[in-house]
Amino acid sequence: MADFFQLAINGFAIGGVYALAAIGFVIVYEATGVVNFAAGQFVMFGTFAGVAALVNAQLPWPIAYAAALFAMAAFGVLFFLLVYWPLKLSPAVTVIIGTVAISITMQNAALLVFGSWPVRIPSPLEGMTVEVGGAVVSVHALLTMAITALLVGGLWFLLHRTSFGIGMRAVAQDVQAARLMGLKVGRVLAMSWVLGALLAGAAGLLLGPMWFADVNMGDPVALKAFAATIIGGFGSLPGAVVGGIFVGLSEVLGASYISSAYKDLISFGIMIGFLFVRPQGMFGEKIQDRG
Amino acid sequence: MTILDARNISKRYGGLAALTDVDMTVSAGEFVAIIGPNGAGKSTLLNVFTGLVVPDSGAVLLAGNDVTRHATNRRIKAGLGRTFQHGRTFPRLTVLENVMVGAAICPTLGERALRESALQIIEQMGLADIADNAIRTLSYGHRRMVELARAVACNPKVLLLDEPAAGLNSAEVAQLVKRLAHLREKHQLAVVLIEHNMGMVMRLAERIVVLNFGSKIAEGAPAEIQANPAVLSAYLGEGYAHARV
Repeated sequence: MADFFQLAINGFAIGGVYALAAIGFVIVYEATGVVNFAAGQFVMFGTFAGVAALVNAQLPWPIAYAAALFAMAAFGVLFFLLVYWPLKLSPAVTVIIGTVAISITMQNAALLVFGSWPVRIPSPLEGMTVEVGGAVVSVHALLTMAITALLVGGLWFLLHRTSFGIGMRAVAQDVQAARLMGLKVGRVLAMSWVLGALLAGAAGLLLGPMWFADVNMGDPVALKAFAATIIGGFGSLPGAVVGGIFVGLSEVLGASYISSAYKDLISFGIMIGFLFVRPQGMFGEKIQDRG
Repeated sequence: MTILDARNISKRYGGLAALTDVDMTVSAGEFVAIIGPNGAGKSTLLNVFTGLVVPDSGAVLLAGNDVTRHATNRRIKAGLGRTFQHGRTFPRLTVLENVMVGAAICPTLGERALRESALQIIEQMGLADIADNAIRTLSYGHRRMVELARAVACNPKVLLLDEPAAGLNSAEVAQLVKRLAHLREKHQLAVVLIEHNMGMVMRLAERIVVLNFGSKIAEGAPAEIQANPAVLSAYLGEGYAHARV
């Protein structure tokens, strides 16, 4: 039982990271209609922003995390200006191919700058554990869960309780009507890229101490985040959270109780099952109910 | 005082002249209706006012300022509010949230004041008991009323209404007319109304502008328009000019 508890905490922690990556992906998709194929590389950039600030520049923890998140926000603005804005009138496929191109560029840029050797980011809570009901649990895992909960709560507050967030949801539903309400649509769209980049950055920073920082880490994260959005319901924020945790739990529990060789098969198998049985996911709406 | 002034507006889509040299003014507090057969250019003219369509030539003045080159959000801020032909409320937001989006451009409103002012408008429009319902759960009539509430959330000087009565039943039309009268009285609001419901137009409008094939063919008080031969032939065809609407 203690083992199970320990594994469940780890599953929740890694699931929280997938959830953050998935929310970053969903927020951009909902607001701009762009399926961002570079979403995994956004997370990888977040991890390496942590590497640059913590390992290379040796900055103190709080400053390093703030600097890394600031860099991610700036990257969101840059991505909006250089990739999304010039292509905004192009067909969706063109924009998607654009994000694929940027994804490859990002991966290779990281390879050039940081090299191919995996790096380990230490956690400020390195090696710290607590005993909960007989189970030894990593404090970093608990903190990851807490930060995920805090970010999800903050995001919910932004989107539902502030006029800016309500404006963001309005733009996502009808750009032209939002413009006629006097909203500055360009600014709202830019902000959704910034939020997407920040959430991916947070996911990357939290993931750093759990995995090695590796320039190839973006694709597996993106696939897990994608599975999370399918399972939770494409375009749904609560769905992304529940889907992310679901994928994290099934991965960790599956690896321990079934086989670690098949842990990816388990989470993707569940995703495929959902596509067959309930393609709208747990929280998604059927296509005919949307609008 | 003239609040909205459109001068020599022309707009072509390829070979189609959507608007040709249209002049139109609206005074503060005035109720003007634009009528005309389908495809006459009525909605295009509203889109020129709001900046969704840039005219090929001509100028739009709002409270004396030339806004022809201004983006939509600046015009809305300067005092325009509008509703759409088919109702364009945000389906997955609540009634309150929809009205808050309309109120978001009001100057100097903090978060709390903005919510309060939106709630006040909802109350005035008789929507208080559905304030927290998502739009997609509401009837069409309610949605149109929410759209109206949203359009007046920031006290516009001119309200542009694109067929607000389309799809409403007679009780809902009566309700709409009542709310409009109340809003005008309270805010000295000028209204530009596009409507096919002639009963509503004749009852509410102080002045009527008639468009046909993108040109203004008549303008005047409702009684004059009803007797105008050019209007009759535009609606009923040649040979029926002796008939009355």
